[in-house]
Parts: sequence; C-alpha cells; structure tokens
Amino acid sequence: MRAIKASQLLVVGVASALVLSACAAPADTTEGGSGSTESFSIAYQGPLTGADAKYGEYAKAGIEIALADYAAAYPDGPTVTAIYSDSQGDPAQAPALAADLINNADVLGVVGPAFSGETEATEPAYSEAGLVTVSPSATRVSLSEQGWSTFFRVVANDGAQAPAAAKLLTDVVGAKTVFVIDDASAYGVGLGDGIKDALGDKVIGSDSVEKGSTTDFSATVTKVTASGAEAVYYAGYATDAGLIQKQLTAAGFEGTYASGDGSLESTFIETAGEASEGAYLTAAAGAAGDDFVAKWDALTVSDKGSIGVYSTEAYDAAWVILSGIGEGNTTREDVLAWVAGYDAEGITKHIKFADNGEIDGAGGVYYYLVKDGDFEAPVAID
Amino acid sequence: MEFLIGNFAELTITGLVLGSVYALVALGYTLVYGVLQLINFAHSEVFMWGTYAVVWVLTLLGASGTSSLAGAAGYLAIALVAAVLMSGGVALIVERFAYRRLVRQNAPKYIILISAIGASFVLSEIMGLRDKIAGFLGLQGVLGDYVNNPRNTSTLPVEIKPEPVLQIGNYMVRDTELLIIISALIMMFVLDQFIRRTSFGRQIRAVAQDPEAASLMGANSTNVVRLTFLIGGVMAGVAATLYMIKVGATGFNVGFVLGVKAFTAAVLGGIGNLRGALLGGLILGIAENYASGILGSEWRDVTAFVLLVLVLLVRPSGLLGESLGRARA
Amino acid sequence: MTLLEIRDLNVNYGHIEAIRGISFSVEEGTITTLIGANGAGKTTTLKTISGLRKVHSGSVFFDGKDITNAKPYERVKMGLTQSPEGRRCFPGMTVMENLEMGALLRKDRRSAAYREDLERVFGLFPRLQERVKQAAGTMSGGEQQMLAMGRALMARPRLVLLDEPSMGLAPKLIRQIFSIVDEIKAQGTTVLLVEQNANQALKRSDVAHVLETGKIVRSGPGEKLAADPAVKAAYLGGDV
Ligand SMILES: Nc1ncnc2c1ncn2[C@@H]1O[C@H](COP(=O)(O)OP(=O)(O)OP(=O)(O)O)[C@@H](O)[C@H]1O
Ligand SMILES: [Mg+2]
Repeated sequence: MRAIKASQLLVVGVASALVLSACAAPADTTEGGSGSTESFSIAYQGPLTGADAKYGEYAKAGIEIALADYAAAYPDGPTVTAIYSDSQGDPAQAPALAADLINNADVLGVVGPAFSGETEATEPAYSEAGLVTVSPSATRVSLSEQGWSTFFRVVANDGAQAPAAAKLLTDVVGAKTVFVIDDASAYGVGLGDGIKDALGDKVIGSDSVEKGSTTDFSATVTKVTASGAEAVYYAGYATDAGLIQKQLTAAGFEGTYASGDGSLESTFIETAGEASEGAYLTAAAGAAGDDFVAKWDALTVSDKGSIGVYSTEAYDAAWVILSGIGEGNTTREDVLAWVAGYDAEGITKHIKFADNGEIDGAGGVYYYLVKDGDFEAPVAID
Repeated sequence: MEFLIGNFAELTITGLVLGSVYALVALGYTLVYGVLQLINFAHSEVFMWGTYAVVWVLTLLGASGTSSLAGAAGYLAIALVAAVLMSGGVALIVERFAYRRLVRQNAPKYIILISAIGASFVLSEIMGLRDKIAGFLGLQGVLGDYVNNPRNTSTLPVEIKPEPVLQIGNYMVRDTELLIIISALIMMFVLDQFIRRTSFGRQIRAVAQDPEAASLMGANSTNVVRLTFLIGGVMAGVAATLYMIKVGATGFNVGFVLGVKAFTAAVLGGIGNLRGALLGGLILGIAENYASGILGSEWRDVTAFVLLVLVLLVRPSGLLGESLGRARA
Repeated sequence: MTLLEIRDLNVNYGHIEAIRGISFSVEEGTITTLIGANGAGKTTTLKTISGLRKVHSGSVFFDGKDITNAKPYERVKMGLTQSPEGRRCFPGMTVMENLEMGALLRKDRRSAAYREDLERVFGLFPRLQERVKQAAGTMSGGEQQMLAMGRALMARPRLVLLDEPSMGLAPKLIRQIFSIVDEIKAQGTTVLLVEQNANQALKRSDVAHVLETGKIVRSGPGEKLAADPAVKAAYLGGDV
C-alpha cells in the first residue's frame, strides 16, 4: 500500500494507547518548530492535494490525535508540532520536499512516506541523513529489502495483503476466474503481481494501465468482458479504480469488482457512483475504534483531517516517534535508536520492528464492502 | 491479435468514442494554427474549464441520483450551453491576454508560444487553487462546494447509465457512445459548412491563406482571430460535455494528457486542416484501443506517438496536409 | 476633384527610409501612374495608402478625410481597394470565392447592383467566368492577375490601386491588361497604377510621377514624361 502520512513521535510507553484523555489541545500543528531546545517537529510526507489527497486527510486525523495524546502524556516534555509536507504521492515531487525536511534540524522523525513510489524516491536520502521514517501505509514488499536503516512501517506489506485478497476472491466471492489489472506504479505492480502469484491459474487475464495518463479504459474493459472473468481485482489508486469500475459496469460487466487499500477512500465511491455497490476493498488495516473517533471528535484544531483508512496506523506511527521525544530522545540519532528498539502495544497492533523495518507479526488483512454508497465495517479475511 | 479480431467491433466503437472527443478538441488547435501559425497550448485548459462548467451547472440545478441518457437530456442540454459558454469565454480570454498584443506587435513565435504555455499553467492552477482564490475574494462561504477540495476529482452530480441500443458485429453499442460519435460528426459537419460556405468562414480561410491580402479585402484580422478562438472554444465546450457524459469525472489537471492527444491528432491529420483533425482524432482513438488490446494498455501512449512519427515520416504534413492555409479547406 | 492626397509622406522599415517625403494627389476619374526602378518605393507607397504600413510622418487624405491612421478595412469601406503586387489571390479558394472576398464588406450581396458588378468583372475578364469553380492556386499567372484585379473591383471602389498588373505576363496579355485599365477608368473608377512597363503606362496616364529611392524626382502628364529624354533613357529602354 502506500504510505500515508507521517509520523509523529510518541510516547513510549507502554500505556500509550490507553493513556490519556482526549482532551489536551495539541500544539500548533501547522508549521515547524522553533529553534529552542524545547521545541521539535515531526513531519508527514504524503498527498495532501491531488487525486489521492484523501490519504493525507486520513493520516492527519491520526497524527493530530497522537499530538494531543502526547501533550497530555508529557506535559513537561518538549513542545512538538507537525509539519505537513505535500508530495501529492508523486515520486517526482517527493525528493525536494524530503530534502527540505532533512535540512530542517527541528524535524526528529517522519510519519510516512505515504506511498510506496515516493518511499522508493526519498528513503535513500532519509537513510543517509539518519532521519527516521515510520510509514503507516507504504506497503510494497520490496521496500524493506533495500537496506535503508531509517525505514520502518506499522502496516503489513502487500506480501500479506496479496494472498489475503486472493483468498477473498476465491473463498468469500467464490470467483473461479479473476482478471487482474495494475496501474504500473510501484505499489500497483507489487500488489498485482502478488495477487497473480497467489491466484495461480485462476488468473484468466491481466492488463496494466498507466496511472493518470487516461480516463478512458475501453480497451481494458473489452479485455475483461471478453475474458468472461467472474471477478476483477484492480491494484492501483482510487480515481482510476472508480473510473474503471464505472466503465466496466457500463459495458455490462456483472462480476465482482475488488481493489486494494490504494482505493479505500471515498473518491472511489464518488467516481464509480452506483457501480461501486458491492465492490470489495482490501487492506491490512482495520477500523478505528470508538475511543479513537471520540478523541478525534474532541480535537479543537481547525484542520484535523478526517478518519479513514490508515488513520489509526498514522496514529501508531506518530506515537512511536512522539513517545521517543517525550522520553527524552531529542536528537535524530536517539529517536532512530528508540524506534528501532520500540516494543509496546499500539492501537492497531503490537508494535515491534524487525531489523529490516517490517512490523513483527502482521496484523490481519480486512475487506471493506461498499454498500449504500459507503464502506461497511471491515471484516477480517482469514 | 486473436483478441483484436474477436473484439474488433467493440474496440473500434469505443475507440471512435474517445477519438471523437480528441477530434473536437483537435479542431481548436488546428483552427488557431491555421490562422496564426501558432500552437495554442492553452487550449487543453479551455477544454478542462468546460468540464467544470458541466459539473457546476448540474450541481447548481440540484441534479442527483442516476438517470438514463434520455432522462437526463434536459440537464445535459443546459450543461452543454454552460460548457460552450465557459469554454468559449475562456478561449476569448486566452486570445485577449496571451495572444493579442504579442501578435499585433509581431512578436517572435517562440515568445507567443511561451505566453500560451504560461496561460495554460495559469488556467489550470486557477482551477486547482480555486478555494484559495475564492478565499482572497471573500467568496469561499458563498461558493462552498464549488470551490472546496479543488485538487480532488470532481464528479458529475447525476450519474448517467448507458443503455445498449444497437448491435454492431458482436458488440451492443451504448446510447451514450452513439450520442458522442454522432454529436461529434454533426459538429464537424456544421463547422466544415460554416468555414466553407459562410462569409465569416471565408474570412477565416482568407486570413489563414494570406493575412495581408485579406486585410486589403477589408477583413478585420483582430475579429477573425477572436472568432477563431471562439469557435475552437465552442468545440472544446461540446467535447467537454460529451467527455463528462462518458467519463463522469474531471480534475484540474485533466486537460494536459487530453490536450497532448488532441494536438497529436491535429498534427496526424495535418495541422490547419479541419477534416484532418477529425480523421486524426478518430484514427488516434482507434489505434490506441487496438494497441492496448494487442500489447497491453500501458502501450497506449507509446502507440500514439509511434503512429505520429510513422505518419510524419511518410507524409510530413500529416494525412490530409495543411489545408486551411494552402490547399482547399 | 482631388480623391487622394499624400502630404510629405515618410515610411521606414526599421532604419531603412523607404519613402522620403513624397507628396502627390490623384484626381477623380483619372489614371495616375508611379514609375520607378526596383526598390524605388512604389509598393511601399501603395501599401501605406491601403493602411498595411504605418507612416513615419506625413498624412494621407481620401475624399477629403484624413485616413493616415485608419484601419485597412475602414479604407476599403470608404472605397479604396488594391490589387497587390504578386496578385495574392487566395490559393485555396475558387475564383468565385475570391471575388466574393473582394466584396466582403458589401452589405448588398443579394442585390441587383451586386450582380451587375459581378457581370461587369466578367465582362472585363471573360476568362474568370469560365473558371468560377477553379481553385485560384491552380490558375495561370495571367488568369490570377485578372482575378486579383476583378477582386479589387468587386468592392465597387472609387479608387483602385494596381501594383504592377503586367508583371510577368506575355506581351499580348500585357496589352490586354492595359486596355482593361482604360476600361476601368472609362467605367468611372479612378486608378492609381504602379508599373515597370513605363511606355504603356505613361501613354494612358493623366498624371505620372517618377520615383527614385523614395523621392519623387519628376512629375507631369504621362505623354509629356514619356517624351522626356531623361525618363526615356532610364525607364523606356526595352519596353514593349
Ligand atoms: N518588409 C521590408 N523590410 C525591409 N525593407 C523593405 C521591406 N519592404 C520593402 N523594403 C525596402 O524598401 C524599399 C522600397 O521597396 P518597395 O517594395 O516599395 O519597392 P518597389 O518600388 O515596389 O520595387 P519593385 O519595382 O521591385 O517592386 C526597398 O529598398 C526595399 O528593399
Ligand atoms: Mg513593388
């Protein structure tokens, strides 16, 4: 999946998730830190505008809640603010933004990068600078295989999502034939290939579309309908996922449509319209609990994002970093060491990282069914 | 290959549908090129603004839910008018601010080109920053949903459900597809007649063929240039409406890729040649579909440009040659 | 009555002073001719009269009104048209469309007067009538010259400027073109003619001016100039 936003720092503690009430007002969340020794920043790198802007909004909700929790848990700790750096999820735009964050000495950790493609583009620089990144949503398998010392993620990779998505299609949907489409992005190809491997000879056909290069998918639609597939899985992002489903339905496709966490946001439903009814979206992320929603409701900052997929992962990612700062780690080196050695309960799962930055022991993979124009509560795939 | 043959009718028709949109947008490039020998890079944004006019006017009218094509006919007619006014208006603005002074002062072509590219960015970013702009003007409260989340995808408030109406080969053509192809052909025919038969059309051709001689006949070249931009804008407005019927969603950056394709179509057919724009658009739409079918959809953009290069190698002035100018229009 | 008056006209191309202080006038109902060597400034003078070139200084009056800064189409509307050097027919248009372009600003294109003018042009140039549907770009040089002149007459001008109508034509055709110039005058249209074919031109001119590097060096009735030894030596050498 992609990564969502950024990171924050959090408390260390064990008790983290439980601690505190929702109320403390978080620090000013807009711009980065002052120069004083008692004031630091965490940054988020991901899409705040563009076709995938919803992911940034969702991550912001988690980060803002984590900041509020931090202020309550460490009233005497340094002031921490969040810097939101808008990469639009675009690997071409991200490096310049990453360089700005690296050059800002106040930034002790990054929640993100949000997407796999931008992670590939920026992690070498973060790694060289020793600035820790904890992604809530970048899920391409190969990201943890590059030897980047600063790469961590609090989400299971597509190695977990792909087999689960395949299982959804065969066991829950009951499809005997599946057509797999990817969007030629780092994320889409990784996830799509994983699903093809897991489905084996149930894959009746496949196609690859170029993310953002067209809004007309007639040839792909023709391939799907000609193949007679009972189900389609699209590994890519929400706008294209919506357009493809809409065009498939218009062409008379009556099978099941499924996509991944990259499309798990409201843009998908808005774009596909009525055609999105009955679509399945998979993600290695569950729903936000009532507590979380209550805390979000209580936030008083003006722009607090909204809750959606990976909001809770963004919270966990932020908390891992924030708790380190709260516990007195105020250099990049110390925060990096803190994250690497982190071992505590998060709100999505127990957080402890393997040497390559992967979360130890994946959380489950879930599916979200579209019903009445909204995503239903997630159901675990097992 | 087998796939292409088995699905020939479907790939051809859906290719013609997209090709029709390319063709209508290509007209704007070709008309302005014919008259000024300049490429109007801002034309893609003229189209993009038209797609937003469709969304906005239907939102304003409170359209919602799903509808058949026939059921939405009233809405779509109003949307068409709105898109034509919007695109026509934006085209006139481009002419006024990015072109007129420079053309009048005989500025070098590359300067006018840069001016047009600049206008393109400005138009796209105005759309993409419209919440902030409304904020500066103190209008954000009033405009609300029309300007919020300007960089996200905007969808047509009423969803149009295509219905199969006509069997061609082994494909059931949808009513929306038929509408798009037929509308584009009608618009092309009307424009072609306008350019050939009316006094306005004759003036446009005269300025294209010899601006100085046209002045000696009493042609007002400023008016002719303005009219040319306006016609291109009107065609882009029609294209925008048809596009929204088909795709149903737009964004502040949809102009770029579509504009590049439409421009390619214009060059393919012979820039400056109206019938060439039609032919180029349709061929490009079909070729992209065939290539996507045979090679995979990630090859569609490559195909467009390989096709262009191959055609230009054999016929350097495009399929039908440059014609608003030298040959018969 | 004076139809056109040029006062102390200066026209530049960048630093090149193409026209340097010329003054002359054209009386209604006459043929006035400008002769001069290549590059003397004849075409520039006509372009300036039609409004295609801006003046550096000086003024142009037409029918008593100052048109120095008028737009080209305003001048056409007042009855001032031109058959330009090199013919400049619209190559992609038919003969008929070219003629209709000549009548662009006329509001009476359905009237009897308009049809009369068309007949008049076809009377002067029967060739054009035979070829109304032919694309101008495919016609011979002589035919295009006829078309350019016919086109300039379609606006029913009071003054028509003819820039080298005989250029590049065979002797027989040249004589024909000149007799048509006489005919145009006879039908009541004033003519300002620019010619290299000085002999033919001077013979029929009421007034003629000799232009040399942007200045008028001699003026007088055409017949008189034709007899002038200096003019003879300079311009009447190998004339037809
Ligand atoms: N567009 C131009 N730019 C620069 N100089 C020009 C331009 N047009 C004409 N000239 C110059 O102005 C002078 C007058 O040119 P013009 O065409 O008026 O001569 P002409 O008398 O009509 O000659 P010809 O008999 O060869 O047609 C020449 O020296 C010419 O080189
Ligand atoms: Mg000349």
